Amino acid sequence: MANALSGWGLWIALVGACLGTYFCRAIGVFLSSSINQDSEIFRWLAAVTYAMVASLTVRLIVMPLGLMATVPLWIRILICALSIGIMISKPTRRLVPALLAGTLLMVGYGVMR
Amino acid sequence: MSSSDQPYIDPSEIALESSAVERFKSPSDAFWTGMRDAAGAPAVVLFAGMVGFGAMGRTNGFDVWFTTFTSFFMFALPGQVVLFEMAITGSSALAIALAVTLTSTRFITMTVTLFPQFHHKDRNRSLYASVHLLAMTAWAISMREFHAIETKHRLGYFVGLGLLCWLISIPGTILGFYLAGMVPPAVTLGLVFINPLFFLLTFTEVKPWINRIAICLGCIFGPLFFIVDRDTSLLTAGLVAGTLAYFIDRKFLRKKAGIIG
Repeated sequence: MANALSGWGLWIALVGACLGTYFCRAIGVFLSSSINQDSEIFRWLAAVTYAMVASLTVRLIVMPLGLMATVPLWIRILICALSIGIMISKPTRRLVPALLAGTLLMVGYGVMR
Repeated sequence: MSSSDQPYIDPSEIALESSAVERFKSPSDAFWTGMRDAAGAPAVVLFAGMVGFGAMGRTNGFDVWFTTFTSFFMFALPGQVVLFEMAITGSSALAIALAVTLTSTRFITMTVTLFPQFHHKDRNRSLYASVHLLAMTAWAISMREFHAIETKHRLGYFVGLGLLCWLISIPGTILGFYLAGMVPPAVTLGLVFINPLFFLLTFTEVKPWINRIAICLGCIFGPLFFIVDRDTSLLTAGLVAGTLAYFIDRKFLRKKAGIIG
């Protein structure tokens, strides 16, 4: 936390993030009457978004900060693998059971240690 | 309106002429049905995500106002987590705003696919307000249901749906924030784990190969770039991995008809 953003810098970041997010929503409205959703730029933007969220997710699981860092890496990966197993065990949606199982396993680990 | 001897261009027109015409009696009926459709598994997952986000804010030393404002004004979980993660590692405000904006570009695609399905009378400036209610949950349900709703009631349905999702995210965040301070560390651990796990699980539902490749490359480049330069690593990893996936798709996959389906 030593070099964490704080004070005004933090709020400026929040305002920038909010404006950027709203800008994307608004530009979508603006373009919605004139643009083809299958165009190349959207394919590229979707790929960049998925890559960014994927690298965020991996970082949160593999190299977390704070409380989660006290859990051994193999426990974190094992719980993720089990949850994915539940998720893909049926072709129909199993998001809620998988999410619940993973969360409860993590709580269970916390209780046991 | 297409007549029967013309080919349908817009899929939304097909449903209009069938039984869907009488699905809702009035705009308020559509609005409340939208609210009811949101109140179920989608709302539970979103609420859990927001509780997890609130807990993340608490455990990382943000105050309750900052955490709640983020949910209220951004209402985009991946972007919110990016903001917090980058703020903790000490990235500059500019890098944060850029990275968050890039994760939000998915809203452009969502809006462009969803909003043309509204009635032309509803397509005015007020949409710039309703678009704030657009997020993954409301988008997915709307895309599924709109074909069975007559066009003039679609906006009411969408607003009901989105409004409920937005409104539950605020108490969810506040609840998560205070829970993380009150419950035993074991429960806080579970709360903080909700969002990474949620993102991970949604990846299994991604169908197009270009996006699957992007996810795999992002998983590899994310930690690598983090070691090289952590301030901008999300931004650079996303751009490099996404662009690479785009070119792999463009050069190799698109020509093979069987793969993209």
